[in-house]
Amino acid sequence: MKSAFTKTKAAAVTVTAIAALPLILSGCGASSPAASGPVSELTVVDYYNNEPDKTVIGDTLVACGTESGVTIKRETVPGKSLIAKVLQQASSKTLPDVLMLDNPDLQQIASSGALAPLSDFKISTDNYPQGILSAGTYKDKVYGLAPTVNTIALFYNKDLLDQAGVTPPKTWDELKAAAAKLTSGGQYGLAFDANATYEGTWQFLPFMWSNGGDEKNIATPETAEALELWTDLVKSGSVSSSALNWTQADVNDQFIAGKAAMMVNGPWQIPVLDKQSALHYGVVNIPVKDSTKTAVGPLGGEVWTVPQTGNKAKQAKAAEIVGCMNSDKNQLAMAKARNTIPSKSTLAAQFAAENPKLASFTELVKTARARTGQLGEDWPAQATKIYTAIQNALTDKANATDALKQAQEG
Amino acid sequence: MSAAVQSRLHLTVPETQNDAGPRRPGYRRRERIYQWLFLAPAVAYLVLFFGYPVVKNVLMSFQDYSTGTFYTGEAPWVGFANYVTVLSSSLFSTSLINTALFTAGSIAGQFVLGLALAVFFKRKFPLNGMLRSLLLLPWLLPLIVSSAVWRWILDKDSGALNNFLESAGIISTGIPWLTSTSLALAAVVGVNIWIGIPFNVTVLYGGLQDIPDELYEAASLDGATGWKAFRHVTWPMLRPVVSVVLVLGVVYTLKVLDIILGLTNGGPANSTQTIATQSYALSFQDFKFGEGAAMGNILVLISLVFAVLYLRVNRRAVDE
Amino acid sequence: MTTNTQLNSAGTERPVGSRSGPAAARYRQGGTTALAIVFLSIMLFPVYWMINASLQPNGTTLQTSWLPLAPDFSGYATAISQQGRNLGTSLMVALGSVVFSLAIAAPAAYALAYFKVRGAGVVLFAILISQMIPGIVVANALYTAYNDLGLLNSIPGLILADSSHGIPFAILIIRAFMNNMPASVIEAAKVDGAGHLRAFWSIVLPLSRNALITAGLFTFLFTWSDFLFALTLTTTDDVRPVTLGIYQYIGAYVNDWSSVMATAVLASIPAIVLLIVAQKYVAAGTAGGAVK
Repeated sequence: MKSAFTKTKAAAVTVTAIAALPLILSGCGASSPAASGPVSELTVVDYYNNEPDKTVIGDTLVACGTESGVTIKRETVPGKSLIAKVLQQASSKTLPDVLMLDNPDLQQIASSGALAPLSDFKISTDNYPQGILSAGTYKDKVYGLAPTVNTIALFYNKDLLDQAGVTPPKTWDELKAAAAKLTSGGQYGLAFDANATYEGTWQFLPFMWSNGGDEKNIATPETAEALELWTDLVKSGSVSSSALNWTQADVNDQFIAGKAAMMVNGPWQIPVLDKQSALHYGVVNIPVKDSTKTAVGPLGGEVWTVPQTGNKAKQAKAAEIVGCMNSDKNQLAMAKARNTIPSKSTLAAQFAAENPKLASFTELVKTARARTGQLGEDWPAQATKIYTAIQNALTDKANATDALKQAQEG
Repeated sequence: MSAAVQSRLHLTVPETQNDAGPRRPGYRRRERIYQWLFLAPAVAYLVLFFGYPVVKNVLMSFQDYSTGTFYTGEAPWVGFANYVTVLSSSLFSTSLINTALFTAGSIAGQFVLGLALAVFFKRKFPLNGMLRSLLLLPWLLPLIVSSAVWRWILDKDSGALNNFLESAGIISTGIPWLTSTSLALAAVVGVNIWIGIPFNVTVLYGGLQDIPDELYEAASLDGATGWKAFRHVTWPMLRPVVSVVLVLGVVYTLKVLDIILGLTNGGPANSTQTIATQSYALSFQDFKFGEGAAMGNILVLISLVFAVLYLRVNRRAVDE
Repeated sequence: MTTNTQLNSAGTERPVGSRSGPAAARYRQGGTTALAIVFLSIMLFPVYWMINASLQPNGTTLQTSWLPLAPDFSGYATAISQQGRNLGTSLMVALGSVVFSLAIAAPAAYALAYFKVRGAGVVLFAILISQMIPGIVVANALYTAYNDLGLLNSIPGLILADSSHGIPFAILIIRAFMNNMPASVIEAAKVDGAGHLRAFWSIVLPLSRNALITAGLFTFLFTWSDFLFALTLTTTDDVRPVTLGIYQYIGAYVNDWSSVMATAVLASIPAIVLLIVAQKYVAAGTAGGAVK
């Protein structure tokens, strides 16, 4: 009985579902902006799902909500699945009122029309360095602002370098010599992340950019020289071939375990490193080819955006939250608590003085470049080519020049 | 063979209330309705939870589906363009070969080891049940955990496996299990076999337990014991279960994703890239959802061809 | 299990499949147990390594000896304080999914095994095809539908979705086992009218105990280890299976392996207890209820 009923119902539902398919696909799902009344609650989605970030961001959001007279309903999703979640929400018209995005993803999402330009809400973009503004900009409009930013540098184990009589390297030649000298037994001179993801690309960028390499065309001698440096380091045994499969967190584990004397990593590792009482470390710029070159780091950090939810009153409130997250006070406080760098250049001097540990990073982000600065929404495709070339060169499938050429030609 | 043995079975069935009255007209129609009632809930579930997604995915594979589509709903029809793109990409042949090697290696390892263990566990010994349950532990670990643990075990420099091999004097320098283009696929297959063994053991063991002992007794009267008994009693009786285990095993293995992503993410240098990982990368890294859907559909087609062929061959074998 | 077989050792019930009679020497059994333990140790080494990692201060086994000699329980403290509720959710969803899957699958398997239903072949083939669909495809399609039906972030919603692993699998497995059921039993079950349900309930189901338990076990395991549906269909802290809870400690930049491993260890405990209890019921031999 019951199941017979289920069957007809199922058939009916199926027919409806298939009939509704074009509707769903054309984005006319069931959605109606809530009746505009006083806004009392805003939904927020971000990917800060582990400590200390989770609490720091959560508390700041709540404080900003209180300031604007709304309660905050926050959801955190695992980092890797954020974009998939955002796309699902876009298609079912359930985008949050405030959305955090990793900066290289912003243009991709802005191009779909799901975000509102911040200029609609009179949010000031003064005093932001060019790097972070270009990451948050799509077709000359700013869609997202990052309260804090980061980049990567060279961490070194002071004790191990002292024992070996090595000073922190500044040039590629010094880096090779130091790494070779620091390699013995179960200890490698250097660790970096060369894995088959965007992380591997991100770790390679400072070497490529500081040498004049360009992401638009990677089949150039400048980029090849940078890749040859990496290949030499791995082939000579100064870097473990496991780098092909390490994440940045793995690299940090190697460094903590004393299995790597130096590593390429970011300031977010500082809390973890400081927990190790026996570990004494320092931070310097990533070495450049020679003294004529200057260090250029890739700019990391997350931007806050206001999605197009169709509810103007809520969007205005959401913009207030984005503005508040980016206030001078909150930038400084969050940067300090999360070991990142406040975005506004006007805050740099004060921040570096208050947080000497982060001084070198503060200096580095001034010149750091956004990954999407040149290519915009075409960056992911090119980033894939870069890590493909890295993997092919490090596994000896091709030499650096050929690997880059093959990757560039697709 | 099995039919002959079947007829030797002496099973006493408890008295059942058999209220089959005289066959009235309408009896057969009512009978058919009853039979469908048993199936209806399952059919309804299948239509809702699989039919709808499949239709959606097939449509998507014929569209230019990008990030923008999710917001605007605009996805122009492009015919077979997505299929042409993915089939002509230089990575496709690599992925196809890797998929074949990965599947063949995993299934061979899982099934042979699984069957051997299932037969082994049929023996009587203390703690049998508990040990069999513990064998399921690999399935209880979230894949993110298993892949992290395996990455530590297989690490070239400080991995437990290389430490063990070095202290046993088998190797002198660490083997780069996950970072050599020639070994990574084998390592991933090994981990997948480890995950698959519990499934094979449990299902095959259940099947073995269902073979009546009378058959073995009858067979031993005919002088069939040990290997002979296995060939003439166990194997034919286990056949339906073996079919399910193999077909499902292949179908599941073809679409394995998380383990490969967790261990190597398709690297080094695409040496562990399969059609499943490619489909995922196209959709969720490159945001080319149309191409990702096309790749997914190609995978389903490969599964389908395999299943049809296998069932054909199997039916013929049974008929003989 | 062992107690069962020892009770049966007189052979009055049914001896377990091995041909060694009731007088099997104890020491030989002991040897077999030892062999099983050796093999299991190899199989479960990664599980031991997980426990070892969970007791390391950094949660990795990079610096570690083969034994956690200086155990550090901070990962457990974090896991217990944050994951208790998620563990409850996981158990509820997994058990709900077992009940729901078996309720739908068992009658269908029975129909496919015994009735000459027209279209049975089509149904079987559809079931097989359903197993070929990548989970992501199903999860993505469900999101939109669930959103309209208000099933996001709900335990019933997760049970329904997770059963998509269990139902087709259970149908295929139960049907394969039923194919071996003696014909006389099937004859007896062929009663018409109201007898159908009763035959199914009181004859076929008890006879299929092994099949049901095996299918139930795997449905439990499928659901327990599901991550994709949890990720797609839930976003709040209220309904969050433990697999997803683990991802709290996997950040964009830093991984807190101690807490991940400790959570995995804690989560395995109730599940393995359930499995051991369930396995006890896998009967030896056929026709547990029918043979007097």
